[in-house]
Amino acid sequence: MELEIISFGKIAEVINNQRIDVSGLSTTDELKAYLEKSFPLLSEMKYKLAVNKNIIQENHDLKNNDIIAIMPPFSGG
Amino acid sequence: MSDRKIKNIFVSGKIDPAFIAESISKHSTKTAIGGHSIFMGQVRRDEIDGKFVAGIDYTAYEELALEKMHQIREDIFEKYPLSCLHVHHSLGTVLAGNICLFVFTSSAHRKPAIEACEELVERLKAELPIWGKEIFEDNSHQWKENS
Repeated sequence: MELEIISFGKIAEVINNQRIDVSGLSTTDELKAYLEKSFPLLSEMKYKLAVNKNIIQENHDLKNNDIIAIMPPFSGG
Repeated sequence: MSDRKIKNIFVSGKIDPAFIAESISKHSTKTAIGGHSIFMGQVRRDEIDGKFVAGIDYTAYEELALEKMHQIREDIFEKYPLSCLHVHHSLGTVLAGNICLFVFTSSAHRKPAIEACEELVERLKAELPIWGKEIFEDNSHQWKENS
């Protein structure tokens, strides 16, 4: 399964936008564990995921070509 | 859902006071309006560990922010009897002392305009995926976090 990863704010300094091939993963919780292992700095940051522009509050199933946004706490205004 | 279209709220760089004046003056033809409420956010020259903030560089997940703003706009129109509602937010660099957020609500009487304006500001700070990077005068930076 391929996913498109986009990141914002402080997290964009740690993870570039990229496509990743993650055959063994099927949920956002598994993806989080994978990302925090691949990018250890991420595990020290607060962040939320959005899957195809929907902000995820709980574990969520993933499918091929989903767009995953990794978003640190907002600071607009 | 209403048939209101998704509006762009983003402005490149600072929000010019002349734009704000123009926006106010455009409402003179809407004679059912009896009260306007305006909030403007301005970039503060904070001092942090002896360094001063020169400006804030704003970025956003624009598509998601505009969808989210559309929902907020629908909620606010449903909750308050407003004539109109305008939101503008900067992207890119805004130097200290300049305006980065302009929220403008209008209604027949003052209370809905005032309450809707406040609720809009609180919701957009909490819910819109926008990030501010504080740039110091020595070009170092830190990322803001809304409380």
